[in-house]
Amino acid sequence: MTRPGFVLEVDERTPPLLVHEGEGFRLQKFPLGARVVYAPDPLPGIRDLPGAIRQALLNPHDSEPLPELLKPGMKLTIAFDDISLPLPPMAKPDIRQRVIEAVVELAARKGVEDLRLIVANSLHRRVTADEVKRAVGERVFRSFWPRDLYNHDAEDQDDLLYIGKTDKGEDVEINRRAAESDLIVYVNINLVAMDGGHKSVPVGLASYRSVRPHHNVHTMLHSKSYMDPREGRSAIHDSCARMGHLLRDSGIRIFTIETTLNGETFPSQFGFLNKREWEWSVKDQVMFLAAKRANDLAPARIRREVWRRIEAPYKVTGVHAGETEAVHERTLENLHRQQLVEVNGQSDVLVLGVPYLGPYNVNSIMNPILVHCLGLGYLFNMYRNKPLVRPGGAVIMFHPVPWEFHQVHHPSYVDFFEEVLSETTDPSTIESKYEQQYATDPWYIHLYRNSYAYHGVHPFYMWYWGAHALDYLGDIIVVGGDPKACARMGYRAATSFRDALEMAGETVGRSPSITYFHAPPLAIAEVR
Amino acid sequence: MAAGKRPGLADEIRDLAKGWRWGRRSVVPRSAEPYAPPSESRAFPTAWARTAAAGAAREVILRYGLRAVVWNETSPEIHGLDNLEGLEAPVMFISNHTSHLDASLIMTSLPREWREKTAVAAAKDYFFDVWWRSAFTALVYAGFPIERGGGERATDTARELVRDGWNLVVFPEGTRSPDGWVQRFRLGAARLCIELGTPCVPIAIHGAYQAMPKGRSWPKPGRPPISVRFGRPLDPREGETHQELSRRMFQAVAELFDEDRTTWWEALRRAERGETPKLSGPSGPKWLRAWEASRPLPRRSRRAWR
Repeated sequence: MTRPGFVLEVDERTPPLLVHEGEGFRLQKFPLGARVVYAPDPLPGIRDLPGAIRQALLNPHDSEPLPELLKPGMKLTIAFDDISLPLPPMAKPDIRQRVIEAVVELAARKGVEDLRLIVANSLHRRVTADEVKRAVGERVFRSFWPRDLYNHDAEDQDDLLYIGKTDKGEDVEINRRAAESDLIVYVNINLVAMDGGHKSVPVGLASYRSVRPHHNVHTMLHSKSYMDPREGRSAIHDSCARMGHLLRDSGIRIFTIETTLNGETFPSQFGFLNKREWEWSVKDQVMFLAAKRANDLAPARIRREVWRRIEAPYKVTGVHAGETEAVHERTLENLHRQQLVEVNGQSDVLVLGVPYLGPYNVNSIMNPILVHCLGLGYLFNMYRNKPLVRPGGAVIMFHPVPWEFHQVHHPSYVDFFEEVLSETTDPSTIESKYEQQYATDPWYIHLYRNSYAYHGVHPFYMWYWGAHALDYLGDIIVVGGDPKACARMGYRAATSFRDALEMAGETVGRSPSITYFHAPPLAIAEVR
Repeated sequence: MAAGKRPGLADEIRDLAKGWRWGRRSVVPRSAEPYAPPSESRAFPTAWARTAAAGAAREVILRYGLRAVVWNETSPEIHGLDNLEGLEAPVMFISNHTSHLDASLIMTSLPREWREKTAVAAAKDYFFDVWWRSAFTALVYAGFPIERGGGERATDTARELVRDGWNLVVFPEGTRSPDGWVQRFRLGAARLCIELGTPCVPIAIHGAYQAMPKGRSWPKPGRPPISVRFGRPLDPREGETHQELSRRMFQAVAELFDEDRTTWWEALRRAERGETPKLSGPSGPKWLRAWEASRPLPRRSRRAWR
């Protein structure tokens, strides 16, 4: 049995702890008594993965076996998560490849001819040919790309189908090809509890019109735990569930296949990043020293390239198939086995090391807005029940927050940062005043459809993800952050952790309780 | 590391060496230690060291071995032993702790009738980790293991010893001071005094840090002066909480330090006005604290009559 998650109390025996800070990391001493939340050790992977996939497809939950759903002459669409998952990208072969190959094999044997594969990228940037090839494998890529394997286009009015409104008045519009298929097989990777379930088809294959009802400030402020999709806990998941039910009631048949991965986030040469510090061997210490020195001394371009090439040696811990909700329930159980950590009570200060990679800068640059999204949108929200920090408390993040943008991937981000955030950082004002303008801007739509740009509205969503944290927290301080970029976002920059604690003292008092959320590897804090 | 300065290779190596205790036993943070149900059989037995035979051997070692060495290598001055007169055993001696010399100084300065029934509480994780160190601690200091982390069973042996009439020497800081200044007192000693109704005798040891600070295994040359000052016993009061008693203990030690630096009279008056100098050292940069703590004690002139 692997070791469960763990909350360390820093004492005089505790060595300095590793903290991620963008494309770098550091050892940081924490005050005595600070708590540190560690994820459970990686679970063992499934030994016979092809057997487990076959088993899932032949014995699905609340559904007929997949072979029985496949018939000659049918229209079959396989949709799958884009490269925003998993993080870092999984070492080859990607689990999507393994599952899609199994489905395609069954379809071929059953005489299915009309088969298309769609990258469910929603309003994310289009995925390049190389990236698709990496995700689905050479065999699938060569057979289907580009005619029958392509990116979903949320702005292609000819390839969208309006399904109707939910009982709460939410518009549902998804990819026409998928909606008109006899069967949609959705292949998912569930990295965190927020993913999967009804967030797959109703969001991944949706248009702006259909994403808007739940990606907004009101919903985010009422999603008290993004990582707890149970009914009533997260408004965004409730909205997605209503959309999923509407699709089902409209006669759209979805066969969901969800997979979960263990916590082996970094390859062996960076093994120390996966370990608890006091368990570092001499080799780990030497590797830390060598990696840190090389990283600090390397030119920025080379440093980024080295980080970009990191592949996670993830192992698959679960494959479940069948009806969406039945599958997702089991997926979450698996995920919780790997990520859930019980934590007793909240603290005054939450410390977050923001790593180099988030869902929206794969093969790209983490710009300041993505730092906001990853820190306050994702890491802050990695809890169930209540946040790790008390209302009005402070978050201290580590990240250089460079004023830097990928001009191809994030064009609307540049303008959002320059035009919108210079006016206001209030999510509600931003939403009401600027969202429509960016979402319907023809140039951004053109770049989204024909280049590799995120949709014009995407930076708004990134800002909304942090809305709950902005509303909840009393202070946000970034250690090592670019002062100008931080000021633009309403943060305060500190040069050292000690300074940051000193600054936080103005909000939370002179001797605050501190919790350091030690991630990655990812954990979900179950706060009692 | 200075604020905002990127650490260099030397800084990183130093952090690693310090954090991972290069060249020393590796330790695990207490909260990360695997849970092991406490078992008596695993603890080093020390009852043999409190037998009459071991007591006789200890007396020889302390009087003719340890005292000779300590008194030869340093210049201790003992004050306030008259406070023990009329006092009934068992009592708890509590002292500040800056040096490995502390236990030796206390044991060798106590009158024989007190010493022969006095046991020193020693950290289990340090003094009772290997058999030879455990045996030495048990024999020379009548040492018994105590869990620094506290908890239910941390003071079980101490409780039994007091009930058997043994005096205890306890360092409530739990560990030697890293900078010579007195650290916060942990509450275990006060809790035990209240529970058992035992008086506690405060002791201030001044100069041991300058003579043999943490990190040294032998006193500095030149017979550095050390002052060991025993105070008046403190009795737990009716309804007193362990936090309150612990604060009184700390204050008593602070007054002894003040007395040592000035005079009994001045210290008394300052205590009355609530102006006893703090034992936690000056506020200010780290160097200033270290500088002040390592200031050598003035040598007192040897006089025939005093």
